[in-house]
Amino acid sequence: MKEKLSCFHAAILVHMTQTGIVIFALPGLLAVQFGTNGWLAVPLYFIVTLINVSLIAIVYRVGEGKSIFDILERSIPKVMLYPLYVFLIGLWSLIGCIAAKKYILLFQLIAFPTTNPMAFKFVIDLLAYALIVKGLYNIAKTATVFFWLIIWMGLFLFYFFGDLEWVTFTPFVFQGGHHDVKTYFDIYAAFLGYELSLLFIGYSDRKTRLVKAIIWGNGITAINYILICLVSFGFFSLPQLKSLFVPLLDLLASIKLPFIERIENLLYGFFLFSTILTIGMYSWSAKEVSQRIFPTVRSRFLAFVIVLLSFIVSFIPKSLYEVDKWLRLLAYLEFWVAFGLPLLLISVLIVQRGSKGELSHG
Amino acid sequence: MSLRTNIQRWIFNKESAQSRPAEKLPDTERKPTLAQTLDEYKDCADLIHRTYPDIQVEVLYFGHMVNKDLLNREVIALLLNVEPDEVGNLLNQPQFKVANDSKGLIIGILSGQIAIFRGEIVYLADIRGPESRSVTQSETETVITGPHDAFNEEIDINLSLIRRRVKSSHLKVVKLSVGEITKTNVCVLYILDIVNMDYVDEFVRRIRAIEVDGIYDTNMLIQYIDDSPISIFPQFLTSERPDAIASKLLAGRVIGLVDGSPSVVSAPTSFFEFFSSSDDYYQRWSIGTATRLLRFIAFGITISFTSMYVSVTTFHYEMIPENLLLTLTESRSRVPFPPLYEALLMEVTIELLREAGARLPTKIGQTIGIVGGIVIGQAAVQAGLTSNILIIAVASSAIASFVIPSYVMSASIRLIRFSLIMAAGIWGNFGIAIAITALVIHMCGLTSLGSSYLTPVAPFKFKDWRDTFIRSPFKTLIERPSQSRTKNRIRNKMKK
Repeated sequence: MKEKLSCFHAAILVHMTQTGIVIFALPGLLAVQFGTNGWLAVPLYFIVTLINVSLIAIVYRVGEGKSIFDILERSIPKVMLYPLYVFLIGLWSLIGCIAAKKYILLFQLIAFPTTNPMAFKFVIDLLAYALIVKGLYNIAKTATVFFWLIIWMGLFLFYFFGDLEWVTFTPFVFQGGHHDVKTYFDIYAAFLGYELSLLFIGYSDRKTRLVKAIIWGNGITAINYILICLVSFGFFSLPQLKSLFVPLLDLLASIKLPFIERIENLLYGFFLFSTILTIGMYSWSAKEVSQRIFPTVRSRFLAFVIVLLSFIVSFIPKSLYEVDKWLRLLAYLEFWVAFGLPLLLISVLIVQRGSKGELSHG
Repeated sequence: MSLRTNIQRWIFNKESAQSRPAEKLPDTERKPTLAQTLDEYKDCADLIHRTYPDIQVEVLYFGHMVNKDLLNREVIALLLNVEPDEVGNLLNQPQFKVANDSKGLIIGILSGQIAIFRGEIVYLADIRGPESRSVTQSETETVITGPHDAFNEEIDINLSLIRRRVKSSHLKVVKLSVGEITKTNVCVLYILDIVNMDYVDEFVRRIRAIEVDGIYDTNMLIQYIDDSPISIFPQFLTSERPDAIASKLLAGRVIGLVDGSPSVVSAPTSFFEFFSSSDDYYQRWSIGTATRLLRFIAFGITISFTSMYVSVTTFHYEMIPENLLLTLTESRSRVPFPPLYEALLMEVTIELLREAGARLPTKIGQTIGIVGGIVIGQAAVQAGLTSNILIIAVASSAIASFVIPSYVMSASIRLIRFSLIMAAGIWGNFGIAIAITALVIHMCGLTSLGSSYLTPVAPFKFKDWRDTFIRSPFKTLIERPSQSRTKNRIRNKMKK
């Protein structure tokens, strides 16, 4: 029997998929975009994600737990769906691949600057392949273990409590920000990942309480972000935060323990645990979609092709600047997919319900 | 198989064959006869063949496999004194069982039974005489408090040690035989109403599917029935302690005994089970908890200490505080090798010492330990082959590895340590993170008898943490572990 996701696993999986590389730049992005007390924007973003989750919940409820592919393929001919599938495969595998590249390039800011980044990318892709071929249930288990392996890092936040300058939390809210439209999407990228839970529907049952799990996962992410941003806004001044490229790394770099210091590269290494989950989940989603186009092909082979192609594509963006440009575009597209896909599914379900009603009446 | 077919099989969903070989049907059952049996044992000089012409009875047995007193009292004396017309009645007594197939008869004689041929009917009488070492203390699983008896190589004695502790008619035993030539007896034990029968069926199915000429030990058997034979991790727990095995039975596990082996297997098992010892339950809960936590800390130390040393001294000197940095630089100043070689040299030497100590008699083993300690501890540093701090790191991680109660798990972890050291030597902290990621991904895919190897962490079962990472007071240990998937979950009805 295929094992189903539990509520806890689904929640952690959502949280770990969301927690990726954007977390390092998030306090800086909030400072640039919103200005003073920018961390207060995190709950606002959380509310937007909740609206999106409510759309996913409608799909789950109205679709009676059917997989999104079954819903789509019941009403729309497969040939018409193929362009959408190809788009999703491309988008999701690229997000995974570019996120990995960004993680590596960021790491090279603190260590191994002369090593070819593609050597790191190769190893990370191997790990991603090993992860996705194990299937969603095992990915969820891995997410749970990684969650416990990194959650303790939250204790370091207490380290900064003595250094927080309460004066930086001015009574002025959102003053001195740029309020640039593109950056809104950049920040939203930190929350993206929950939309992949649409694909969990086929792997869950009533016990999973999927919607609750997605909300919980999202909630853990939001609390996490709020705490990190709160500490960052208290530790750094606003101009400092605006000028820092990766404030979280600078924050970690200031930790000094009696027997060890400058542990940012060690802790950044541990962030591989959540990054690999983000990469793995996007690649796994791409594989799930590709399985609908090639149902007879083994999923291992599909995973191999996806990972291989994304490895090849990741040779193209060379610098962090280029990678950021790619990620911005991908996050923008993913934002619309996150809202658009559930809306498409809801419309299809409404049509299906309508025709079902006609049949039963007629 | 052609390359093309192989590629097609890899790409497409065509499972042409099941991963495990199909079970063979038993040989055609034949009626046993004396001539045929004698023919089977041709050239077996140790086979004893006696005839009793007066009563037209012939007996076959291996003299060294039977209990001589029992043989004389229960068989020979009776056959010598019986009247010809009373033989039928005598052999109808319950200790004589009719052998209906020749294969069963052959195996019966081989396992120490006596075969009695009377006309066309053949009887078997069980008069095995176990020549085995007595029940002694386990050398690999010693405890400070608690029972000291341990299993030995005789399966019947092992069964009796378990039965003495679990006096329940619900304790069931399935007898199996493994090995085409050795025909080793294997017993599968479980407690009806507590165990999940799916586990029993799967365990028995896997053992029956073994097609090999022989097995000699439980640890060998479990490598044939592992869920993932190529994994470095043991996927079944073995123990030499009857009390530990009795507790596993009550926890809803399936138990396997192999004749000739003092190790007994328990399944399903989880990675964290290897960190618990019987001692934890015989001491106060607070001591048990502290000891158990210590073992997990030891696990962390053993896999990370040397690799962190390599990583920090090779790539990340900035991580060392200034005061410590001076000592470390001074210590490393005379060492001509990179930290990776230095660490590998020391780790290999420690492993050599351990292996030599394990193979030699205790007294010589001690000498090896002292000599090795002096050579490694002082001479290596004085000769400039290694730094003092590395000695501390290597020694700490070696000691920590021995804190893990299961020898099999401890050996696996020591091997993993080497891969972490290598990874640290190549890419520093990032290499360590990569190695841990790979390890976790691998472990999350592992199962034991189909249930997750990382239970109760993944899948997350918080209730089970009370008897995993800690050993909470007995009154709070109300339920059996969730990994057992038992319907009979409550084990303790006492009020808190």
